[in-house]
Amino acid sequence: MATRTGFARIALTVMACISLAACGGGGGGDTGGGTPPPTGGGGGGQTPPPAPQPASDAFETEDKTARFLAQATFGPTPQDIATLTGTDAVDWILAEFDKPVTLSLPITQDLRQRATQTFDGQFYTASNTNAFWTTALTADDQLRQRVAFALSEIFVVSNAPMGVLFDYPDGIASYHDILKRNAFGNYRELIEEITYSPPMGFYLTYAYNQKADPSTGRMPDENYAREILQLFSIGVVPLNRDGSVQQGAGELYDNTDITGLARVFTGLVFDGEIERFFGRDDAAYGNQVLARPMVTWDAIHEAGEKNFLGTTIPAGTNAAASVDAALDTIANHPNVAPFLARQLIQRLVSSDPEPDYIDRVAAAFEQGSYALPGGTQVGTGKRGDLKATVAAVLFDRDARDTTSIDPNRSGKIREPIIRFTNWARAFGANVAPEYVQILWFIDRTGPLGQHPFRSPSVFNFFRPGYIAPGTQSGAAGLTVPELQITNSATIPGYANFMTAFVFGGQVGNDTSGIADLFAREGVTGYNDAEARAAFQADLSAEVALADDIPALLDHLDTKLTYGQLTPETRALITEAIQGIDVSGPGTDEELLVARIAVLMILTSPDFVVQR
Amino acid sequence: MRLSRRNFLKTATASAAATGVSSALLNFTAARAANTAGYKALVCVFLFGGMDQNDTVFSFDQPTYDQLVQTRQSLFDQYQGARDRQFLQPLTLSNQASFGAREFALAPEMPGLRGLFNQGKAAIIGNVGPLIQPTTEQQFFDNSVPLPARLFSHNDQQSTWQASAPEGAQLGWGGLFADAAMASGLGQAAQFSTITTGGNELFLTGNQVFPFQVSSSGPAEFFALKDAAMRRNEPGGEEYYQVLRRHFTGLDFQSSNLIARDIKSAFEATVVNNETYNAARGTVDRVSTSFPAGKLGSDLKAIAETIAIRGVLNVSRQVFFVGIGGFDTHSAQAQDLPGLQGQIDGAIVAFQAAMEELGVDQDVTLFTASDFGRTLAVNGDGTDHGWASNHFVVGGAVNGGRILGDIPEPVLGTEFQPEAGRFVPSVSVEEMAAPMGRWFGLTDAELNAALPNLANFAGRPALNFLDPDPLST
Repeated sequence: MATRTGFARIALTVMACISLAACGGGGGGDTGGGTPPPTGGGGGGQTPPPAPQPASDAFETEDKTARFLAQATFGPTPQDIATLTGTDAVDWILAEFDKPVTLSLPITQDLRQRATQTFDGQFYTASNTNAFWTTALTADDQLRQRVAFALSEIFVVSNAPMGVLFDYPDGIASYHDILKRNAFGNYRELIEEITYSPPMGFYLTYAYNQKADPSTGRMPDENYAREILQLFSIGVVPLNRDGSVQQGAGELYDNTDITGLARVFTGLVFDGEIERFFGRDDAAYGNQVLARPMVTWDAIHEAGEKNFLGTTIPAGTNAAASVDAALDTIANHPNVAPFLARQLIQRLVSSDPEPDYIDRVAAAFEQGSYALPGGTQVGTGKRGDLKATVAAVLFDRDARDTTSIDPNRSGKIREPIIRFTNWARAFGANVAPEYVQILWFIDRTGPLGQHPFRSPSVFNFFRPGYIAPGTQSGAAGLTVPELQITNSATIPGYANFMTAFVFGGQVGNDTSGIADLFAREGVTGYNDAEARAAFQADLSAEVALADDIPALLDHLDTKLTYGQLTPETRALITEAIQGIDVSGPGTDEELLVARIAVLMILTSPDFVVQR
Repeated sequence: MRLSRRNFLKTATASAAATGVSSALLNFTAARAANTAGYKALVCVFLFGGMDQNDTVFSFDQPTYDQLVQTRQSLFDQYQGARDRQFLQPLTLSNQASFGAREFALAPEMPGLRGLFNQGKAAIIGNVGPLIQPTTEQQFFDNSVPLPARLFSHNDQQSTWQASAPEGAQLGWGGLFADAAMASGLGQAAQFSTITTGGNELFLTGNQVFPFQVSSSGPAEFFALKDAAMRRNEPGGEEYYQVLRRHFTGLDFQSSNLIARDIKSAFEATVVNNETYNAARGTVDRVSTSFPAGKLGSDLKAIAETIAIRGVLNVSRQVFFVGIGGFDTHSAQAQDLPGLQGQIDGAIVAFQAAMEELGVDQDVTLFTASDFGRTLAVNGDGTDHGWASNHFVVGGAVNGGRILGDIPEPVLGTEFQPEAGRFVPSVSVEEMAAPMGRWFGLTDAELNAALPNLANFAGRPALNFLDPDPLST
C-alpha cells in the first residue's frame, strides 16, 4: 500500500534534519536482558554487581522501574530504565537525597547575560523559564527537581502579572532554588525562606507592608497573612491526620486572626533601593536585589501586640522575632501534616489518595522519619522533615502496589508540563529551550495552558480539592485537580503542541524566526545547527522496530505507559500504521511509523492518566 | 468501593451530557417548565481578584466626595490628582429621589458606561454581595444569623458568587438557569448552552450543561486530524482519517478507570463539539462592530460572534462567562486599576453596540461580578479583601439609569467595619440574580432551585431592573 501521505508530508518536511544513521539490528531497544554495567551519571556509591536481594521491588522489572520514575522524576529515560532495573530503589532514593543541587539561578544568569536587550526582551525574560526546562530535563538530581516543581504548585509565586517578577528573572530563579534547596529539608525552614524571599514579598504584596496608622485609617496589608494560612500551611477547616475534615468543627480562623497576623508581616523590605528597580534603570542591580532575602525594617513594623490562632506576640517584639514566632505557631499546627501530605501525594502519585495513605505520609511528616523497605530510616526525626515525607509518598503501598487500591479510582492526570517532560526524556530530545520560543510562553491555551511559575493566581492552575462536575470521577466523589484545566481548548492545545514536537517541527528547518530574535535582542552565541537540532527526538530505537509493530508497541509501552497500554489503543495504532510500507532500506516511512505511534500514545488516556 | 448499579446509571448519564454527543438522550420532555420563546442570553463578566467598588462608583456630591478623600487620603495621594472630582464621570439617576442629596459618578476611565447608564441601558446594583439571609451589621457582630462560609477568601467567594457555596460547589446558577431552559423540552443543544472564553467555569456548570470554550479565533482544532482530513481523497487517506478520528474521540476505549474515562470523554466532546461549532461559524457573517484590543475586548467579541450563530447552534437560551484578572489591588492600585477600568468600559460598550448590530440588544443582558468588594480603608497603596461591592447590569432590556440597593457612605466605623470598612451587603447576590432568572424565563420553582437562599429574602421588594418574562409565570 502507498505511504500514508497525510503524515508522510509532515514527516518529510523535517526529514532532512533527522539523522537516520542508526537503523541497524534490533538491539538498541531490547534491553531486557542482563543488567548492563552502571553508567557514570549516578552519584557516589554505585551498588556492586553481586547485589543481595533488593529491599524494595520497585525496580524489579522495566515496567516497574519506569512507573516509579514517572512518579519521582520528570520522566524515565531509556538509560535509567536499563540501568536501574534489577537494582534496589532504596539505594536509588538514598543516592538522590545526597546528590548536589542543580540550581536554576546560575543558568538563568548565564542566559540573560547573553542578551543585550534586557527589559521587554523575550530571551532575557525567558531565562528563568529556560533554566527550568534545562534543569527539569537534564539535571542529575531528578527527585529533588521533581519535588521542587511540586512545591512550586503549593507555594505559588507567579510572574503572570508581569511587573517586577517578569523584569528581573533572577527573582523567580532564586525562588525556584529555595524550593530545590529545601526540598529534602524541613518545612519550618522552607516556609521561613519563602517568607523572606523577595518574589513572595512582591507577589503577595507584603514587601514594604507598614504598621497601621490610626490617623489615616491605613491598615497592614492582609494578603500574605491570609494566603500563608489558607494555601501554604493549614487550609481553612480543622483536619484529622488522614486529611478528612473534622465534622462540625467550623473554620480554623476568622478575620480577626487575619488582621492580627497581618501585623506580623510588616517591616519586611527588599535589601536594596526600591526606586532603582521599580524605575527599571538597572537590570543587573534589580536582579541582585530580587535574588537575596528581604531584610527587616523595624521602623515600619507593627510594635503593638499581635493576636492570631490563639497565639499572642507581646508588644515591643521586633519584626524578625515576630515572624519567627508566627512561623513557629503556623508550622506546629496539626493541620500542616495532612494538608501538605495530601497535596504532595496528589502532585506525584494519586489524584484522590485514600485517607490511610494521607495518614501514613502525615505521620512521617510529624515524626520526621520514615522507614524505607529493609528498615533504613530517613529523616532527622524532627517534625516537618521533607525527606521522610517524600520517601513516605513514594514507597507507600498505595504508590507501589497497583493492586493495593481500587483500580477504577487510582492514578492521576499527568499535568501538561509533565507530559511534555516525560516525552522529552523518553526520547532523549535534544534539550535546547533557548531556541524554542514556544517553550517560553506555554501558559497560553494554544500551547499547554500551564507554565512553571506562571499560574493565573496564587491558587495554582488547579485546586487540590477540585471535583470535576459532570464527570464519572466527580460522580464518584474523586478529587482530580488536573481536570480543572482539561477542556475543549486545552486538549487540542496539548495535542497540537506535542504533534509539532513529535514530528520535529517546533523549530525544524525554519530557524529564521529564532535567528531574527537573537539578532533583534542582541543575543550572543547563535548556532544554526543547534537551533535546528533543538528538541529533535532520538527515535532510532523505534525506527529499528518499525517493521515489527507488536515489538514497537511493547517497547513504547514500557517507555511511556509502563505496561499499561490498553489493547484498544494498541489496536488503533496498529490499524493506523500497519499499511505503511516500511520494506525499503532506510525509508522515511520507518520514522513516520514511529512518530505516529508515539503521537497516538501521547494523546491516549493510557498516557495522559498516570497509574 | 465499586459503583453501585444506580450510581453507574447516574454517572453514565452525566457522562453523556458531558460529551454532548448523546445529548438527544437527555432531551426527555418534562412538563413545560419555563418559557423559551425567542432568544435570551446572560453574559457574566467576572472581575477576578475583587474589584474595589469605592474606586469605581464614587460619591460625587461635594460633602461625601470630600469625606471619601479624607478616608482614603493615601490612595488619592497616589493618584496624583487623577481621581479629582472634576475628572469623574457623573451619573444622572432616574431614581435620584431615593438618594436625596447624594450624587454619584464613575471612575474617569468609564465614560462609555456612564453613557449607557444615562441612556437607561445600564443600572448599578449597589452594596451587593453573598448573604444567606438579610443581615445587619449588629447581627454580623453578634454572629446571630448564618453567614456565607469563608468570607474574604478569593476562591471561596468566587465560588459563592457563582454557586452560593464555597469552593467545592458543583453547580453554578448560570448552569442551572440553562438547565431550566433544557428542561422546557425544546431540544436545545446542551453542549452550546453555556459558553466561556476561559476554562471549566463553575458558574456555567449545571446538571445537564457544561461550559464550552471558545476564543475570538473559534475553538481549537486538532492539527493532526485536520491534516488527515485534508488528505482524505488520497490513497489510503480516508481509512487513515477514520482511524485517527476514532483515536481522538476515544470511541473504542474500554478501561473502567474513572479518570481515564473522563479523559476519554473530554477528548470525545472536544472533537465532536469543536467540529460542530467550527462548521457553524462558517455559515454566518462575522460581527462588524470593532472591539478594543485587550483580553476583555477579544473575549466579548468571541461571545458576540457566538451569539451571531445561535440559530445554527440550535440554542434559544445561553449563558456566557468571560473573566478578566488583576483586580486584587493590595498594592499599586492607582497604577493598575484605571487601565482595567478602561478595558471594561471599552469592551462593554463595544459589546452593547454589537448586540444592537445583531438586533438582539433586547435579548442579551450583561452583568459584572467579582470575588468581593474591597476595604474602604487603605493599606498604604492598595486595599484589602472586603465583602459587598457595586456591580453593573447592561442591556437593552435593563430598566437602567438607576442605582438599586445602596451605596454606603465612605465613613469608617459606621457600617460593618472591623476597623477597615468591609461592608455587609444590603443586597444579596441571589437577589441580583433573581430578576435575571425571571427574565430568562425561569419559574419561581426553578429560580428557588437555582438560588437556594432566595426564599430567605421573600419579604423584601424584588429588584426590578429587568421585567420578568411575561410567559414564565
